[in-house]
Amino acid sequence: MIFTGEFLAFMGLALVAIIGGVLLLNLNKVIHMVVALIFTFVAIAGIYVLLSAEFVAAVQILIYSGAITIIMLFGIMLTKHDDESEAKSGKWRKLFLFLGILGFAFAVYIGIYNFNVEQVPTKLHENNTLQIGEALYSKYIIPFELTSVLLLVALVGSIILAKNDKKKEADKE
Amino acid sequence: MSSIPASAFLALALILFCIGLYGALTKKNTVIVLISIELMLNAVNINLVTFSKYGVAPSITGQIFALFAISVAAAEAAVGLAILIALYRNKKTVNIDEVDTMKN
Amino acid sequence: MEFVHEGCQAPCSIKGIVIMMENAWLIPLFPLLSFLILLLFGKRLKEASAYVGILFTLASLVYSILVLFERFSEPTYGTNFEWLTIGDLHLTAGFEVNQLNALMLVIVSLVSFLVHTYSKGYMQGDERFPVFYAYLGLFTFAMLGLVISPNLLQTYIFWELVGVGSFLLIGFYFYKEEARAAAKKAFIMTRIGDVGLFIGMILLFWQTKSFEYKEIFAAVDAGEISTSMITLTAILIFIGAVGKSGQFPLHTWLPDAMEGPTPVSALIHAATMVAAGVYLVASLFPLFAASKTALLTIAVIGAFTAIFAASIGLVQTDIKRVLAYSTVSQLGYMMLALGSAGYVAGVFHLMTHAFFKALLFLAAGSVIHAVHTQNIEEMGGLWKKLKLTGPLFLIGTLAISGVPLFSGFFSKDEILAAAWEGGHPILFLLALIAAFMTAFYMFRLFFMVFTGEARGSQKHVHESPANMTYPMILLGVLAIIAGYVNTPWFGTFLGDWLVDGNEALAQHGHIEGPVWIMIAATVVSLAGIYLAYLMYYKRSLARNWLSGTGDTLHTIVLNKYYVDEFYQLTVLAATTAISYFLRFIDVFLVEGLVKGVVGIVQGLGRAGSKLQSGQVQTYGAVAFIGLALLVVIFAFTGGYLR
Repeated sequence: MIFTGEFLAFMGLALVAIIGGVLLLNLNKVIHMVVALIFTFVAIAGIYVLLSAEFVAAVQILIYSGAITIIMLFGIMLTKHDDESEAKSGKWRKLFLFLGILGFAFAVYIGIYNFNVEQVPTKLHENNTLQIGEALYSKYIIPFELTSVLLLVALVGSIILAKNDKKKEADKE
Repeated sequence: MSSIPASAFLALALILFCIGLYGALTKKNTVIVLISIELMLNAVNINLVTFSKYGVAPSITGQIFALFAISVAAAEAAVGLAILIALYRNKKTVNIDEVDTMKN
Repeated sequence: MEFVHEGCQAPCSIKGIVIMMENAWLIPLFPLLSFLILLLFGKRLKEASAYVGILFTLASLVYSILVLFERFSEPTYGTNFEWLTIGDLHLTAGFEVNQLNALMLVIVSLVSFLVHTYSKGYMQGDERFPVFYAYLGLFTFAMLGLVISPNLLQTYIFWELVGVGSFLLIGFYFYKEEARAAAKKAFIMTRIGDVGLFIGMILLFWQTKSFEYKEIFAAVDAGEISTSMITLTAILIFIGAVGKSGQFPLHTWLPDAMEGPTPVSALIHAATMVAAGVYLVASLFPLFAASKTALLTIAVIGAFTAIFAASIGLVQTDIKRVLAYSTVSQLGYMMLALGSAGYVAGVFHLMTHAFFKALLFLAAGSVIHAVHTQNIEEMGGLWKKLKLTGPLFLIGTLAISGVPLFSGFFSKDEILAAAWEGGHPILFLLALIAAFMTAFYMFRLFFMVFTGEARGSQKHVHESPANMTYPMILLGVLAIIAGYVNTPWFGTFLGDWLVDGNEALAQHGHIEGPVWIMIAATVVSLAGIYLAYLMYYKRSLARNWLSGTGDTLHTIVLNKYYVDEFYQLTVLAATTAISYFLRFIDVFLVEGLVKGVVGIVQGLGRAGSKLQSGQVQTYGAVAFIGLALLVVIFAFTGGYLR
């Protein structure tokens, strides 16, 4: 294996992503967890760049590191979050889950560890955004439009869900 | 041409997926559970993008799919949070252990 | 359904007109109908249910008489249809009208009809009046069904039904502790006998591959069954008869059964059901006749029971119990007759006994109805107050005592002759002594109840209403004249008719005994009456002139030879011990097993319900672990890696 710059970049990014994930599991405060996750999201964006997907990387930073993280922070702020009493529910379950996940990971890893297809030269990095735009507005136009509908529905749904209870509370009183 | 083998990306995705899964199934705070699910979706996205570059017939489609997945994940996050807020209003808690209305 | 006409031989198919007998199966159906109607509408009919019962039994009676008359001129009629076919086995059901059946039909339906009529007065005002009539209907149905059964299986079914009817009627006053106990006792003790009958029946079936009487007799005739097997089955079947007919050692239930209403005692425990045992032996007579040992057993048990029960009857003070022991004793007589190969004698006595014992019971019921007590020590001087019941009771007493010119005289004489001719001098002697005792205790009863000073509190003594006296009058007439159908003087019509056309029975027909037997019988019964007269009417002999000398003996007899106590100590104790043991097994083994199963299921349920905790994460975890397991198994058993 050659230690090229690309490889070093990959290793660094992967390390950051994994450390972010591990921190997510082990930190105590909810805010810290979310912040740890931002590192992971950004590192994943870097991975996308390595995979010649600049546009996806940009979207990743915009949506995940930006929008979703902010939404989650709002969620944390709007709810009670100070008590973080862990380990109340059975350690046995955690152990079982850990073993199960380990087994799963191992089984999948056996499948992928020497997965290597012949690499074909690609032109994905050339005018990446242009290519995506062309594909999106020609071949994938209908899914694209449907996505907009989905987003609209999600928007309306969230507003109704978040709003509905005020009436109920008023009814209660 | 890349000096990094496809299996490296896949392994990274696998690790992230497993971390997300563990978090989703063990964390008490519902917000963290939602975030863990986002992490799992991200891991899937890495796979999609990886296969858009590697493989016998690389194409842009993988990236398009990743985009779709991201937009769906965004919608999911919004709805999930709305549900969380509604839940919190009713139960005064975000601890997922105390939400067991499915029992009855 | 395939009808197989069996009993109909050439002559009847030529004549062809046997309408009555062809439809004889209707006879038991009338009381069944009555039972069903009363069961459904009894509560609404109330006292009117008596008319339903009376009407239907009257129909049975009329029909039975018609069948009897037709049977005089026609041969035996029987019909069968296939009931069940199991492989090569063909079980049939059907009915048959032979001489014995026809006679029994009339006896049963007559007594039943009279008891139905009588009960209307006797049971007046009882809260469960319709239920009583419904039970009577059920019992009559079962008894009539038993009588016309052409095969052992059907007989057995009706035999048990009769037992159920008896159980229900004895326990009719179920709020009385004694009645409940008596009903249970009657049921269980007859069941002991029934087991014998059942085993005997199965053995016969095993040997002959048929339940049909005819085929069994044919097999016996042809010598297809070994003699020892015949003896065994005959004795086993006789055990069933012992249970039902209250023969020693299973006799103890019969006196206790007197806890039932008195008309029931008259119907079941005097005239019909207890006669079922005798009837069974009589209808299977060719089988018994084939085994000397079996016959001897029957004769010995019969004779012993006759004298044994008579001696107990000497000292009882309950009017119905005296009659009950006399019934046991008379049934012993019948068994003795059958056992001495006196087929006609047994059946003849069965008939006369049905009449005069029913009369006695109904009269006793009338007395009880009048004075409201059953203790004869508290009665006395009723002759003048009960103008009708008194003479009727006297007729019955004379008949049972074997005084000449009354029916009992002829039938008893026939039995004594049979015993003598059968070659059992000792049994003959026993029977003679029993006859003496019978005369004595019956007249003791009569004198104590009807003559002398009024004892106890008798305030509103009055004669019973007409619907109670008419049946008694009819029975009184029959108690006198029924004997004349078979006398050595005017011809043995009954005896000849009973064995007519049946070679197996012909040799056991009427037995002409020496004249001295008749004289001896008369002398003994008159002596018994005279002794009772001296002791209880003239009182010239102290009542304890005999018992005073042997107080122990008196106590023993008064306590019925301690048979009940003996059973209590042996059979019951053993049964209780076994029961405890079985209960132990039940509690610790069976229940333990059951509890184990229950525990497992409950545990599973608990675990299952714990899984349903409503925790999303738990669900997810379980689902994922399952998936992980599948993936791992898939990976290692060679899935996508190959």
